[in-house]
Amino acid sequence: MSDDAADVQRVLGGDVDAYAALVDRYYDRCARFAVRMLGNRDDAEDALQATFLRAYKALNRYQERDRFSAWLYRILVNQCRSLAARRAHRERVFVREEALLLNAPDRAVGWTGEDEEFVQRVLAELEPLLREAFLLKYIEELSYEEMSALTGVGVSALKMRVKRACDRLRERWERIKDD
Amino acid sequence: MTESDDQTYVEWIAREARRPVVMGPAARTRIMDAVRAEPAPRRRFWHRLIEPRLISASPIASLALAAGLVGIGVFGGTFVNNRDGLTSTGLPQAVPALPIARVPVSDTVKVMTFRFIAPQAAKVSLVGDFNGWSVDETPMTRVDNGGVWSVTVPLSVGRHLYSFVVDSQDWIADPRAPVAPDDGFGHANSVVLVSRGSSS
Repeated sequence: MSDDAADVQRVLGGDVDAYAALVDRYYDRCARFAVRMLGNRDDAEDALQATFLRAYKALNRYQERDRFSAWLYRILVNQCRSLAARRAHRERVFVREEALLLNAPDRAVGWTGEDEEFVQRVLAELEPLLREAFLLKYIEELSYEEMSALTGVGVSALKMRVKRACDRLRERWERIKDD
Repeated sequence: MTESDDQTYVEWIAREARRPVVMGPAARTRIMDAVRAEPAPRRRFWHRLIEPRLISASPIASLALAAGLVGIGVFGGTFVNNRDGLTSTGLPQAVPALPIARVPVSDTVKVMTFRFIAPQAAKVSLVGDFNGWSVDETPMTRVDNGGVWSVTVPLSVGRHLYSFVVDSQDWIADPRAPVAPDDGFGHANSVVLVSRGSSS
């Protein structure tokens, strides 16, 4: 039995503290995806809170033969989608970090301390579904089959999204070079 | 501009985005605080049913329960509409769709039959909150070599979410039943309400 499965069984057996081990094990990875996907830490923290809470409440639906990480990630992806949709509905853009981003260097070389803000800005320019596919492929380094199981989207559609995301990034590179 | 420049740029973005992010120091604590405020998750329905437990009952109640077990077994058999549910004379016999069908019987558990049309499917199973969403626990049976798949299960009175899984991979909501709002797991589910009054 894996560490994850053992911890899940402990939680289902009434040991709530065992859930802290699962949170610790996956928090950093989930946080990275949520921040890259949502563009700021406040929304990411909301998504993480909702994800871990939802997973806890639904823990008896987790099947041991599945990877806990994949199951948790599926919840996280859906939470990020929901949160992004609600945010779009409120027409709230990344106001908090806009001032930082406006001053971020828009150069192809020599990025230093502002690299993260710059990368965040570039990712935010991608359409959400393209950004999601790009992050799962290049940042989480999942296979297309894993991505398909996680998102419910077909492999060929995911390949197309990743390609389009890369195309968008390359187009941006062209604009930078032209400038 | 070269193809190599393009790829380098994409790889640079990916490399930078792979760096860990720093969250607020209290974020994990807040998660666990919220977790502790929730009721503890329970083991799956099937597991709870088959867990050994002590039951105390009066002699009269025991007799009533025994009579109920026999009655439900026969009653449930009438809903099993496939070849395995018929004797050589064509009469229905008490064949529980699942081994567990004889176990959990009370006025709060009803026998329900689910049917789904999937002529091309090689395998169909029923998943729901009542079986831990397990693809393997409740296989459906093809009826008369046609496109209709069926299974009969005991359900506790109340509201249940369920779906059909075709060939172990495609999760499909019941087209004849109300659909529950997206539960955040990426699949649409159907809703069945089980009342004390009747089975279906």
